[in-house]
Amino acid sequence: MNVEKIRKDFACLEQKPKPIYFDNACQSLRPKAVIEKMQEYYYEYPACAGRSWHEWGQKVTEEVRNARIIAQKFLGAKSPDEIIFTRNTTEGINLVSQCLNFKGKKVIITDKEHNSNLLPWQKLAKTGVPFETVPFGNTDALAKKTSGAGLVSMTMTSNLDGTSIPAKEIIEIAHRNGALVLLDAAQSAPHTEINVKKLGVDFLACSGHKMLGPSGTGILYGKKELLDKMPQFLVGGETVKDSTYTTSEAEKVPEKFEAGLQNYSGILGLGAALEYLKQIGLDNIHRHEVRLNKKITDALGDKVQLIGPKEAELRSGIFSFNINKMNPHDVSMLLSKSYNIMTRSGMHCVHSWFHANNLPGSCRASLYFYNTEEECDIFVEAVRKLLAF
Amino acid sequence: MICIIAFFVFAFLAVFSVSYRPLAKEAFECVFRRITLKPCETALDQRIKAHIIGKIMKHSPKLAAFTFRYFEVLSWLLVIIMISSLAYTIYGGYNYYRYGNCYGPESTAFCPFGAFDETTSGVATNYTGPFIAPTPDDDPSKGPEDAKVTIIEFGCYMCPYTQEAEPIIKEVLTKYEGKVRFVYRDFPLGEIHARADLHAEAANCAGEQGMYWEYHDKLFERGATCGASETSIAMLKDIAKELRLDEEKFSKCLDTRKYQQEIQKDFEDGIKAKLTGTPTFFINNRTIVGSRPVAAFEKVIDEELAR
Repeated sequence: MNVEKIRKDFACLEQKPKPIYFDNACQSLRPKAVIEKMQEYYYEYPACAGRSWHEWGQKVTEEVRNARIIAQKFLGAKSPDEIIFTRNTTEGINLVSQCLNFKGKKVIITDKEHNSNLLPWQKLAKTGVPFETVPFGNTDALAKKTSGAGLVSMTMTSNLDGTSIPAKEIIEIAHRNGALVLLDAAQSAPHTEINVKKLGVDFLACSGHKMLGPSGTGILYGKKELLDKMPQFLVGGETVKDSTYTTSEAEKVPEKFEAGLQNYSGILGLGAALEYLKQIGLDNIHRHEVRLNKKITDALGDKVQLIGPKEAELRSGIFSFNINKMNPHDVSMLLSKSYNIMTRSGMHCVHSWFHANNLPGSCRASLYFYNTEEECDIFVEAVRKLLAF
Repeated sequence: MICIIAFFVFAFLAVFSVSYRPLAKEAFECVFRRITLKPCETALDQRIKAHIIGKIMKHSPKLAAFTFRYFEVLSWLLVIIMISSLAYTIYGGYNYYRYGNCYGPESTAFCPFGAFDETTSGVATNYTGPFIAPTPDDDPSKGPEDAKVTIIEFGCYMCPYTQEAEPIIKEVLTKYEGKVRFVYRDFPLGEIHARADLHAEAANCAGEQGMYWEYHDKLFERGATCGASETSIAMLKDIAKELRLDEEKFSKCLDTRKYQQEIQKDFEDGIKAKLTGTPTFFINNRTIVGSRPVAAFEKVIDEELAR
């Protein structure tokens, strides 16, 4: 993997002063290929998909279908019909929480969930579907609680510290106990190879903006047999085959879940992003991130208050930390103002975990394949200076 | 507390550029919240802090660490300095409005508000001797000789600032009629105004015929209309004619420059009194330099009368 060559695909990295973008867990940068694909839609065939029979309409329908096939292959799904385009992971999880028939059965989540995989269940609990939490990655605790659960909904990789759950094992436990599994793959899909068929997962949601795709794009994977049984989420244009003043006949999947005019440019951009990632290779990406994270961890791991395990290998590309009693926002802003290093600070939408652990938040450096060792050296130098504060 | 400074700075900048208005509003909200002992919601204070310390950090990590640690204390110091400066500026502005000088009626120090608002015509002197307070000498005066307050004006008839001060001093003298004595002494700025000395001499020639103040007033009425010496002399004689003076006697007095020594003595006395320009007023030896508002004179005169 030639990082220097890859970096040339990202126009924003050519800015002066040189930006050091370490906020990839929030959203990644976009290569020219993605931006050009989006522009292609607006410049060449800016029409509606699936409903207009003119040339542009046919073209955009074909392009959207291609993007769906790319996403299907990217996730290893059986059929492109199992791919629903959403706005983001949050929407995907909400769709499942609102449309799955829980039959009064509980939902199991972990204690380290992003608000996207907590609030939908809090909302659902008000309708009589309770939810329980188990410690993140603790399969024994899960095994004990899964009995009587309708769904196990967990983040594959924590956006807080980069640790991952043993997804395969958890799915097996859940299935053994008759529970379905929804994986929040927002932080894993951009960094590791996922094959939903091999995993056997029932639902999986991820966001385009974290994996080189445009903002406002996401994917919800669902097993076709499950999606077929689920009622519609949002309804309206293109979600029905036919309607009268009092009735309507729902479309088949995936259209029945894609209400209204879609973000065609975004979907096409997302397709281009997934192709780009495949071309680089997710294994290469993961290896590169871990190498960079190890470099940072070796230099700073015992000097800062690291959140998560000490081993960089277990934290993927995330280095979440605090410096003594410094406010994490101060740390992040100082890194930005002094060395143009962009990190994220605060509770990273995992307020519940921070409150439970009585922590004010953290500063999070999240790496991606276009980050370099030189950038890590600068980051280490800057943090070392802050340690003297 | 940096929000307070930010508010004033952004509010000032917002006057000139709309792009600063949201920042000014944000700073105001931040100040309001800090006053009510709540944290600033928009983290403006933290952003400013990071901006400042981030810049320092690259050059001097130690100084950055110090600034970070004592940022609140430093902010308070800056707030105190800013409020003091503001109060001092307002006080200076009030003084300038009331007395025409930032520092009060008697000050001759440089006032930034009046940087483009000159009130005197200057003169450069080489005099390095001691200050010698001016006396009325034998110069023309108005008002009781035993008045508690004596105002001695050193003026030049051709100086625009002396001309500007004339209605002011008239108003002052009307107000304090019977309470003050006014003496006019000549300080002709020959270097700036050609033949200014002739005007002063002419007034003294008119004084011989008991018409000093009438001639003095006429000179100010005509203003600085005199240029070349011939025109100037003709005008001076014309005024004498207008006042129905004995023209022959006046012309002889003027042509022979009878009062040249007298005017020179006034000028030298002015130099010894460390004059730097006209008009300069000595009110019982307290100085007012330049054309100042009536209030500036009133303040000093009232204080002298109250002694």
